[in-house]
Amino acid sequence: MVKVLLENVTKKFGRVVAADHINLEVKHGEFFTFLGPSGCGKTTTLRLIAGLEHMDEGRISFDDEDVSDLPPYKRRTGMVFQNYALWPHMNVYDNVAYGLKIKKLPRDEVRERVTEVLRLVKLEGLENRRPTQLSGGQQQRVALARALVIQPRVLLLDEPLSNLDAKLRIETREEIKRLQRKLGITTIYVTHDQEEAMVISDRVAIMNKGRIVQVGVPYEIYNAPRDLFTSSFLGRCSILKGIITQISGNYVTVNVDGLMITGVLSIQNANLTPKREAYVILRPGDFLPSAPNTPYNTFVGTVEWTGFIGSYLQIRLRINDRTILVNVEPRSKVSIGSRIKTYIPFEYTTILPLREKRRPLTEKR
Amino acid sequence: MDGLTAFQLLFSTLAFSIFLVAPVAFMTARALFYEGSPSLKYFQDVLSSREFVRFPPEGELLKLEDMRRFNPQTGTLEVIGKCLYVGTEGPDFGIIINSLLVAFVVSFFAAVMGTIAAFVMARYDFPGKSIFRIMLLIPTLATPFVNAYVVGKVFGLNGLFNYFFYDLLHILPFKLTIGGLAGIAFIQTLSYYPIIYLNVFSSLINIDPSLEEQAENLGAHGFDLFRTVTLPLSLPGLAAGSTITFIFSIEDLGAPIALKGAFGDDLAGKVMSFAIYDEFRKGIGSIDQVHASTFALAVIMLIIATVSFFAIKKYVGLRAYAMLSKGGRWNPRLSTPKKLRKTLTYFFLTLLVAIAIFPQVGVTMLAFTDWALSGPIPKELTLKYMINLVINPEISRAIMNSLTYAGVATLIIAILGTSVAYLVARRSIPGRDALDMLATMPIAIPGIIVAVGYLLFFAVTFSGSPMDPFINPGLLLIFAYSIRRLPFTVRSVFAGLQQTHVELEEASYNLGADRKTTLLKIVIPLIAGNIIGGGILSFVYSMSEVSVSITLSSLNPTQGPITHYMSQLIYGIVSVEAVSTAAALGVLLMSAQVIAIIVSNYILKQRVAFLGM
Repeated sequence: MVKVLLENVTKKFGRVVAADHINLEVKHGEFFTFLGPSGCGKTTTLRLIAGLEHMDEGRISFDDEDVSDLPPYKRRTGMVFQNYALWPHMNVYDNVAYGLKIKKLPRDEVRERVTEVLRLVKLEGLENRRPTQLSGGQQQRVALARALVIQPRVLLLDEPLSNLDAKLRIETREEIKRLQRKLGITTIYVTHDQEEAMVISDRVAIMNKGRIVQVGVPYEIYNAPRDLFTSSFLGRCSILKGIITQISGNYVTVNVDGLMITGVLSIQNANLTPKREAYVILRPGDFLPSAPNTPYNTFVGTVEWTGFIGSYLQIRLRINDRTILVNVEPRSKVSIGSRIKTYIPFEYTTILPLREKRRPLTEKR
Repeated sequence: MDGLTAFQLLFSTLAFSIFLVAPVAFMTARALFYEGSPSLKYFQDVLSSREFVRFPPEGELLKLEDMRRFNPQTGTLEVIGKCLYVGTEGPDFGIIINSLLVAFVVSFFAAVMGTIAAFVMARYDFPGKSIFRIMLLIPTLATPFVNAYVVGKVFGLNGLFNYFFYDLLHILPFKLTIGGLAGIAFIQTLSYYPIIYLNVFSSLINIDPSLEEQAENLGAHGFDLFRTVTLPLSLPGLAAGSTITFIFSIEDLGAPIALKGAFGDDLAGKVMSFAIYDEFRKGIGSIDQVHASTFALAVIMLIIATVSFFAIKKYVGLRAYAMLSKGGRWNPRLSTPKKLRKTLTYFFLTLLVAIAIFPQVGVTMLAFTDWALSGPIPKELTLKYMINLVINPEISRAIMNSLTYAGVATLIIAILGTSVAYLVARRSIPGRDALDMLATMPIAIPGIIVAVGYLLFFAVTFSGSPMDPFINPGLLLIFAYSIRRLPFTVRSVFAGLQQTHVELEEASYNLGADRKTTLLKIVIPLIAGNIIGGGILSFVYSMSEVSVSITLSSLNPTQGPITHYMSQLIYGIVSVEAVSTAAALGVLLMSAQVIAIIVSNYILKQRVAFLGM
């Protein structure tokens, strides 16, 4: 098992900074995920770890060995590419055996290890198939087997599920997680799918514009986003801007044009004082249908839009010149134009003090 | 930088430096020095001479004259009819302007013919289409000199054309004969329109159909649709094809040599390529006899060709809309034309094909009949010219020479071409753009320039060594072919690499294979088809190379390849029959090309506009 250390890792493509001074430690046997929108630099960072791109600045080490200047073929990482990169001129066996043959291992050992890894990914009997004769899911497992068979120091997965259909994606991610646990291999995973990231990972790094915005266990980054980007990237939410009126420990009250909202502070900040601007982050699923009799955290508005999602009904509620998204019971008879009253508990409300000047957003996915 | 990259870079840099850059630079330097100091004197001499630039031109394009015959009974000349001379009497704008004029005319007519043909073939579906598809490409089969000879023969005063339309059918009120610049332009248009056809065709079938469907959805149809969407999107192909046609026209030596050599048509020799060739032919034996103004003319020709090439390459690069839509292949838009359109389609294609393939048909007729001796129409079949190829030791030697040179050149091309394409496509090394340029530039450098450059550079620098053109022109031909026909393979391999995802190589590095192993085990197996397909084209087009072959081989004719032997037969015109032997060699070349094109199309599994950019 190996720990991976990134220090000040920077990579520029022309003027675009794909990786901007990234500092990170991935622990022994950890399942670590880079999560972010397309173009945020997550794949570049993964390729830097594999040695497929050359860093402009910084240091990457596996355990205590500096691998920054090692070419990709000396790093012993096992990478699964987004499009699998299976060689069409070789069959499944030869694809998987390639890394072992390169090392000039004895033929018997190669056969033994390939057979074993194919059993592990449940592909026994398909050794002689060509990649084009396999389904997407099977191709994905060949790619995984090919990366695992060389017993890499780190397993690198670049959006490995993005080419699979929705159902297979869920099955496969559980399978990958199972294998990773079984082998105890340090794994770095790249995805833009927040649900996938949260389900599969021990820890997640949120990336935006080449920077790591926040690192933490899934529960933490979901519930205590450190900034607007993280909160809006991890699921839908409504964001309101107001002025802090009261601070008591972790609880802060914000005045949003007369609406008084109390919530939990997402960043510990000793210097916080009233009259500062802050964002209020409200997740649609956290609203309750019946409100206690309090002026705090209670919203009354007109239904402007409804969307039936399946397990719930999402509505857009207009309160004066603002709108918020609220999930309600699918069977509740809510129609466009009707007046609704809803409530969100303090502990589910996140307050994010303003750091930088930004355009106020009413809702963002 | 790893060992493999270093080796590839060194190998290709050396090859380009010695066999392309140095000879051309050496020649340019000669033109730029007058009595030991840098001077533009030779350029001024050339540009101010009436031989090279002449305004107003001399002679007229069209001239209708009485034909007279001496009547022994009356003892007078009597008028027996009229004849329209097209081009044989003029105009002559001077050598440089003549070349440019011919090239523009050829590009224009070839563009019109090629674009219409491409549109019809890409958009309409009609019975017999596959036959036309083959027929349209027949003019690409190179039969140096002999095809031009056939045109001259058919359109001569007593040729097949006048025999049919004047003597036999009386459709024409006068005889018609074509020659001079018009003759060259006519011959070249017929040979080169397929270049434009292929380029526009591949542009057209690569247009995402939804782009045209969207335009239709917004109300455009018919010619409006063509003018506003289809044509602009296929413009890069049209521009590339026209420019290559322009350059090919300027560098062509086959037509001028055939018209001047076989028919004594002096006007046909007044173009840049022939003027330079002729200087060297006359001054053979010693380089010093060649006047430096010839080098200045060569530099002017080089500048015209390369500037137009790079201008258009830039334009095409900018315009490479590259069909923004993603996703798999689409079905090209095909419609079945209705009555009127169908009739027009057949009429146009039949006429085009009939006119365009008659040189190749004529070459075959010359080779298999007594046409060379029998007047307007052939009288009997004969195999003696074909048999000649086998029993005449001089011809067999020429064939062996060609096969050897082209074969060795193809091996060099395979290694050099794969290295260059791989470096350009995959490695970000300093000088990558320069390498890319050097690999595509041979298309733009007229063959006669390469010939002159080689002659000068190797005769001076390698004098007395095995690389001296006066000792071993054959060896230099191998290198000349390797450079001149390199673009076929580079293009093909580059296309293969573009279709092969980089991740396939990265996966190999990731599993511990170094660059060399990855190149041998992953890259080359994946692009083998492209290397072979490109190599085959390089091979056959080496066999039919004219300019360098005839120029260098004249220094030691025993080392001459097929094309040199053919030029001797046509230009030397030992006997009238000699042309039939040249035609037999032409048939041999055509057969090799047909086989090569079929095999490489099969291997590459696609129709590549292999003379495009």
